[in-house]
Amino acid sequence: MDTLSRRKFLQLSGAAAVGAAAPLLTMEDIAHAAQTRPLPIGTPILIIVTLYGGNDGLNTVVPYTDPIYFSSRPDISYAADKVLKLDDQLGLNPAMTGIKSLWDQKRVAIVRGVGYPKPDHSHFTSMAIWQSGAPVSRLNSGWLGRWVESQVEDPMLAISLGSVLPPLLAGEKRSGSSLPLGGLVIPTGNLAKDCQMLAKATSTDNKLMATAATSMRTLFSVSSTVTPILKMPAPVADELPTANGGNAGGDSNLAQQLDVVAKLIAAGSPTRVWSVSLGGFDTHANEANAQAELLGTVSAALSRFASQMKNTTRGKDIVTMVYSEFGRRVKGNASQGTDHGTAGPVFLIGDRVKGGFYGDQPSLSKLVDGDLAVTSDFRDIYAAVLEDVLQTPGEKILTGWKTKGQYF
Amino acid sequence: MDTERLEIARLYHRFGFGPRLGEFKAALAKGLSATKSDLLTPPSVDLGAAVVAEPNITNLGPRPAQKTKELIEFNIALRQQVRDLPIWWLDRMALSDHALTERMTWFWHGHWATAIGKINFAYPMYIQNQTLRKYALGNFGEMTSAMLNDGALQFWLDGGDNTVKAPNENLARELMELFLLGVNRYTESDVRELARALTGYQVERSSGKVTFNAKRYDSNPKTILGLSKNFDGPSAAAHLVSQRDNAKFISERIWFRFISSQSALPVNNYFEAAFSSREINEILLAATDSEVLGKPEYSIVKAPVEWFVGVVRFLNLTPSALKTPAQLLGYLDKMAQVPFDPPNVGGWPTDESWLSSASAQYRIQFAAWLIKQADLSALSNVAPNKRIAWLQDELGIFAFSNRTRLALESARSTPAQLLQLAICSPEYVVSA
Repeated sequence: MDTLSRRKFLQLSGAAAVGAAAPLLTMEDIAHAAQTRPLPIGTPILIIVTLYGGNDGLNTVVPYTDPIYFSSRPDISYAADKVLKLDDQLGLNPAMTGIKSLWDQKRVAIVRGVGYPKPDHSHFTSMAIWQSGAPVSRLNSGWLGRWVESQVEDPMLAISLGSVLPPLLAGEKRSGSSLPLGGLVIPTGNLAKDCQMLAKATSTDNKLMATAATSMRTLFSVSSTVTPILKMPAPVADELPTANGGNAGGDSNLAQQLDVVAKLIAAGSPTRVWSVSLGGFDTHANEANAQAELLGTVSAALSRFASQMKNTTRGKDIVTMVYSEFGRRVKGNASQGTDHGTAGPVFLIGDRVKGGFYGDQPSLSKLVDGDLAVTSDFRDIYAAVLEDVLQTPGEKILTGWKTKGQYF
Repeated sequence: MDTERLEIARLYHRFGFGPRLGEFKAALAKGLSATKSDLLTPPSVDLGAAVVAEPNITNLGPRPAQKTKELIEFNIALRQQVRDLPIWWLDRMALSDHALTERMTWFWHGHWATAIGKINFAYPMYIQNQTLRKYALGNFGEMTSAMLNDGALQFWLDGGDNTVKAPNENLARELMELFLLGVNRYTESDVRELARALTGYQVERSSGKVTFNAKRYDSNPKTILGLSKNFDGPSAAAHLVSQRDNAKFISERIWFRFISSQSALPVNNYFEAAFSSREINEILLAATDSEVLGKPEYSIVKAPVEWFVGVVRFLNLTPSALKTPAQLLGYLDKMAQVPFDPPNVGGWPTDESWLSSASAQYRIQFAAWLIKQADLSALSNVAPNKRIAWLQDELGIFAFSNRTRLALESARSTPAQLLQLAICSPEYVVSA
């Protein structure tokens, strides 16, 4: 597989499996909410960054002193003098200079060897497990969708960028919302009047026809008077050059997604959870350049975002979590790439984070079936995020999971 | 409820691309069984498809070196071929007299989903398309063997990099998960063993020519799904296709794309038995049986290409003659579905994914663009008070709701707008 983006993954997994239909927000909704009931200053905000395709953890946080690392993947390893050293054993991928500087400011926690019991090597299954947050009971809802359902109903609470909702934000009865990136162009005049008639609900519609009618209806709830928020300049990032780093070949618009998030957070949107994503991490072949470019994009976009937010009253409130559905096989393949693996690192970034390493680095000499052993369960991270960022008890949402990490 | 009308409408919209002018009424007059038998019997010569000239898509050879004059020419030719290829196929879909063949080719393209972005040559994609069409209604085992030797598929899933020294399991995994068996019907060990069986293939990228290099082949025994032997590509593929799970999986995929993506294939179904000899036309007989086609609950959303081809067949438009083909590809791209460019190896999504506000907006614009280029005299010649009933029969719609009738009433004196609303109505966008 070449590229695997969030949108594409959703299309494939047919997000239809999930329970509740997702409200599609308009800029008007968000702008109105931001003006009338802005999120109180000091309320923590969570940004979830999903890397689709299976990011190679060993070339993200590189064990640059381990001889097994070099002998396992001679074609695609990073030499000690290339990596951005984090301590005397581990270093970041050379493309991740932005995140390195946040690390130096003690604003980055790296949880090592993260996964779940009985790792699955299918993109689609593994991502479903991560997003459901329920590796054992395999729920159809997403962990943050269940969080949405635990809160007072509010379509602004959790928003995903793009026109399709990731399963992560899907609840059984209520879900997070999704916000298309570009503005919508609305028909006018007679056509508008007739389209609105066509968009009315009717009892004879089956479920899909009703959805088709709704999609047209939502189109009309956008008002041209309020799109200004999107047209507003994004908060200024004064520490960095404006050009952002790598670009994953036209398919990546992570920086653009984060730009919209930055504007909406700065405007006061009463949103606690934002979901953004980047695809293309399925590096079976010619990994080195492709992954470096992608990690460069992530790193540059996140450090730019951090810098933008620093200039607002919300800077201290934001916690960003970066994860992927699995890491990759330790041993490189013949195509200068790697096949699907298991455990990988998770990044937590923000002023509220206690910077440093958490969890054990998986041993390269004690592989399980050629794969890294999982040393941290992702539910420890979810529990901490739920309790320390979203201020909600995690046990019920995580189907009885009782432990949590101390990252905040 | 008029289930005969429902079934005929579904035959047209799901197993074809929607009726041309006059076809639906004629089918209603002819009756269900005659309509079904016409649909399932390919004509000896497809005169409609024969009108479409084969595209000028050739093996361009390896990419010339940087900063040469040859590279510029190469790039121009490649760009032209990459643009011509989808337009050529859309023409076939629009003009073919036997829509089922193109419809099934389209289904198999989504099944063996290969995207031109990574292949970066039109020629191997063109060859793959011919292979898919050749076996579209044929034997699935033969199709699988042919696909194993398909350069585009091999390159797409790094098959040429899979060697005895270092297996690359991309192709092996997707063969099991997405093409032949379905997820959770094999173990991780099966994937690794299959990858070893599939070693030795080499692909020439520009021509898509696949060769076998014994030096790169792992000749040691492998154990796949409980059977140990000295598998190679063809024998391993045949072993997978012979599994009961293969019949189950293909049945599920046909069900998912043609009957319902919302409800699962029932445990008691005719599909698997019909597919016992892996004949695709046999499973289509099961899929078009009244047992499933007559059940009102199984509605499905038309994917953008299906919607588009339905509209141009009805309007008697030829995709390559639209002004301009590049704009056509632009619209399809906004709707997120361009032939030869599936989003990933799992193919395109279904149902709700095509029903966002964004796609509603693009569909309205796209419809206006198409209608502007069409001859609407057939509709204009109908008395305004009969136009809605006429559209319902000509578009092959099971029934407009009162809601939609009201909206159409309001536009009935302006044919262009009336038609725009009709083809953007929930009743046309969804195959009821």
